[in-house]
Amino acid sequence: MWLRIWQRCDWTIIISTLLLVSIGIIAIGSATHVNQTGLDASTLVAKQLMFFLVNVVIVIGLQFFDYRKLKDWANSIYVITLLMLLAVIFVGTSALGAQRWIEIGPITIQPSEFSKLLMIICMANMLEPRYEQLHTFKSLVFPVLYVGFPILLVFMQPDLGTSLVYIAIFIAMLFVSGIHLRLVRIIATTGVLLLPLAWFILKDYQKQRILVFLNPDIDPFGSGYHIIQSKIAIGSGTIVGKGLFNGTQSQLNFLPENHTDFIFSVIGEEMGFIGCAIVLLLLFLLIYRSIHVAYTCNDRFGMLLAVGIGAMLAFEVLINIGMTMGIMPVTGIPLPFISYGVSALTTNMISIGILLNISMQRTKYIF
Amino acid sequence: MLESLYKRKKTSRFDVLFYIVTGIFIILGFRLFTMQVLEGGYYQAKADGNHLRMVPMTAARGVMYDRNGQILVGSRPAYTVSIMPTGKPLAEEELQKLAVVLKKDPEEIRKKVDNHKEGYEPIRIATDISMDVVTNIEEHRHELPGVTIDVEPLRFYPYETMAAQLFGYVGEVSEEELEEFKAKDPNTPVSGGTILGRAGLEKLYDNVLRGVDGGKQLEVDASGRTVAEGERKHTIPGSNIYLTIDVNIQKAAEEAVAKQLDQLRAEGAPATGAAVVVLDPNTGAVLAMVSAPEFNPNWFARGITTAQWNQLNTDENHPFENKAIAGEYPPGSPFKIVTGAAALDLKKVTPDEMIFDSGRHWLVDKRNAAGEALGWINFNTALAKSDNVYFYEMGNRLGIDNIETYARYFGFGEKTGINLAGEAEGNVASAAYKRKIFDDEWYLGETFDAAIGQSFHLATPLQMAVMMSQVANGGIRYQPYVVSRIDNPDGTPAEIFGPKKLGSLPISNHVMNLVREGLRDVTTEGGTAGNLFQNFPVNVAGKTGTSENAHGRDHGWFTAYAPYDNPRLVIAVIVEQGGFGSSSAVPIVHDILAAYFNVPTKKNKTDSAVPSSERRGTANGRDNNDDAPVKPVTQN
Repeated sequence: MWLRIWQRCDWTIIISTLLLVSIGIIAIGSATHVNQTGLDASTLVAKQLMFFLVNVVIVIGLQFFDYRKLKDWANSIYVITLLMLLAVIFVGTSALGAQRWIEIGPITIQPSEFSKLLMIICMANMLEPRYEQLHTFKSLVFPVLYVGFPILLVFMQPDLGTSLVYIAIFIAMLFVSGIHLRLVRIIATTGVLLLPLAWFILKDYQKQRILVFLNPDIDPFGSGYHIIQSKIAIGSGTIVGKGLFNGTQSQLNFLPENHTDFIFSVIGEEMGFIGCAIVLLLLFLLIYRSIHVAYTCNDRFGMLLAVGIGAMLAFEVLINIGMTMGIMPVTGIPLPFISYGVSALTTNMISIGILLNISMQRTKYIF
Repeated sequence: MLESLYKRKKTSRFDVLFYIVTGIFIILGFRLFTMQVLEGGYYQAKADGNHLRMVPMTAARGVMYDRNGQILVGSRPAYTVSIMPTGKPLAEEELQKLAVVLKKDPEEIRKKVDNHKEGYEPIRIATDISMDVVTNIEEHRHELPGVTIDVEPLRFYPYETMAAQLFGYVGEVSEEELEEFKAKDPNTPVSGGTILGRAGLEKLYDNVLRGVDGGKQLEVDASGRTVAEGERKHTIPGSNIYLTIDVNIQKAAEEAVAKQLDQLRAEGAPATGAAVVVLDPNTGAVLAMVSAPEFNPNWFARGITTAQWNQLNTDENHPFENKAIAGEYPPGSPFKIVTGAAALDLKKVTPDEMIFDSGRHWLVDKRNAAGEALGWINFNTALAKSDNVYFYEMGNRLGIDNIETYARYFGFGEKTGINLAGEAEGNVASAAYKRKIFDDEWYLGETFDAAIGQSFHLATPLQMAVMMSQVANGGIRYQPYVVSRIDNPDGTPAEIFGPKKLGSLPISNHVMNLVREGLRDVTTEGGTAGNLFQNFPVNVAGKTGTSENAHGRDHGWFTAYAPYDNPRLVIAVIVEQGGFGSSSAVPIVHDILAAYFNVPTKKNKTDSAVPSSERRGTANGRDNNDDAPVKPVTQN
């Protein structure tokens, strides 16, 4: 059994994940000045490391189950997800102007993080019977409502970024479910045509955000400040970086949120182009492998799950890294495996666990 | 993936996903490459600008010494408060806190910070703060993260207002000036906070005095708090300069002027200002230079307040003007020296020829000041008593062209060439001048006016002193100078300035002796300055003057040299709107000479040390036939 697992494992996924989390922990250490404070249990690095180890155990444990059992629980998961998201709205704690956290004992969890994976499971379950059936607008009504409800709840937190992740996942999964290309074309064309109209329904502060994104210098001390400082951090890292703990931008607090959303800027500043390129390569390998797992999976549920996980990671990487380099607007989306945040880390690790499970199950029949 | 065993449709959709993901990573990688590899230098500079601050350390300006090595202008240590710019507007609480501690208007501080657009040098907020304020700021250190306190050399004028226009003042470079400096020379040592000379010698010798500011590199965090100190660039102090000024004479002149202006004002004269020049007639060295009213350059060194600035700027008597070199006044009766010398030299008159003063000239109805008539007088009496009718006749005999020629021999109508900014040329009345300006003919009456120093003549007190120097030293014209030595930074002399001979009077020594004798008699009994110098132990030669002023009361002149036999000092004094020279300007010269020759100033009731028999001078006659304010009469 152990040997079989050992042989069938997708080592690319495992090693990429381990390396990414390791780089992340090092970067968090640097961003939180762990060289000055010392490493004890209370530090964020220690927390992240502890949760990582717990998650490794969970991931290993997950390999003893068949992911297809998730189908049986999908409806309950859907209900639980909705309840969780509602709970955030009613009993959540707010931070940075958004209600995203629920406090449970000593830890705070961020349900919208978990809900991403839970929704992937629900969507895969919902779309599996509709595979290659999505030829008419009518056939899309139920899937859109099914997914739209939780998206609305996340949007109301408000968490625009996460709701966009939902939409990205949903589109990717619809796409591989064989949605008719005619529908894709019509929806895409209408969407592009309606996009300018969206400007008029946006609130003033949202318009401001978009303007600042297009030109951070119009508000260099407000919302533009993060983008400007982040770009300076990354750019000034040049090829080899300034060295760990030596980044002036991150060590001297010019870079805000540097252990969470802007962790990539710390890596850019202190590890340079080489460090960043390695991170990008590892992330690419991981996403590539998830598509590969989906592609080689002979089970539609597993295929949909893998595509959902891949889409989630790809979209988060695009939004987060793009944001740190000033080519995407600022949203509160963390960088998978690297940003500090135990909810996100747990979600991503469990996703990897599921991915590994799918990849092992599909090979069962080959041997 | 592409050589799939699966359905074509499924394959193509996975391919699309793969391409999209690849595209995303290519975009991110490309952007990363652009920022870090291609534009890395640009961002590095920005990051350095963020966290590295070059804090300038002001170099101590060079010292100005007097001729005996006394410090005239120096520097003293002072605490200054600066704000470290963070690239963000100043936090409101920090601003309010700072304003309270410094007892300043928060708006004033905010303006200073907002005006500072370029660069990351600390912004100087307050200079020369007291120890109490230093302590107060240190106590609130945690609330004022971007505020720093430094000890800097502060320009210090120990004699406060003394020779303010000569010494000038200093001020911090403005943002506009800084841009100019940088445009002219990108490597200019001038940076934000550099102290520049603004006027007078401070400005003229700014390059010598300024030195090179140093700096220390500080590493600051996002709130402007200093976290580490980097390398230092040491300051190079400015070089010292040595002036020809004698602080004791200068002090005596300042006091004499202040006392006399108070006195005159108490008597009801406007006495709007005064100027004094004291020269060494044997070298041209300026021993003292006073221009009243003065200002206190220490105000500028500390950072002048709006109230102080308004007070100085609205003063109708122009405290910033150095009247000793820039003030142009009709020369009045001292010009009779020129007219007299010309008449004797050209043999238009002999020293013994007696001319009858009936109170008015027989050709043109021009009179003595108070209408007095001195009867038959010779050259000596005419000069000693400053008789107008005699000199009208000299003018009549000379003609305006000769008067002009001799005036120029003595240096009127051209700059003396002293190395100071703002020297005026003065003017010499001439037919050509009148034609040029008024497009009109020259009249005899104007020659009469010109002969006694009115008409279009204008002279600065310095020109007057130079003229008198030539009388005193036998006819050599020296270029007046006020800086005798410039040092190198290490204290060795870089340049030494000595007497510079510009020329000699082309007038016979015999004539000049006669003039000198006449001037000698001005200060003896019966002379126009005889009263005050009655018992003065040192023989003084001089000439009083009262020049007509179209804008108010007459200006009073006195120019003198002493000792008569071996001149060491030449003094020229003007009191603006002070009335008769004998009562307004003479006391100032008297006090300066009394201080220089250690003569007790209180009125000596006993007989003078010099027997009166030795004194020359006429026994009879009024002692003041001086300087009648003669209105120019145009004859038609």
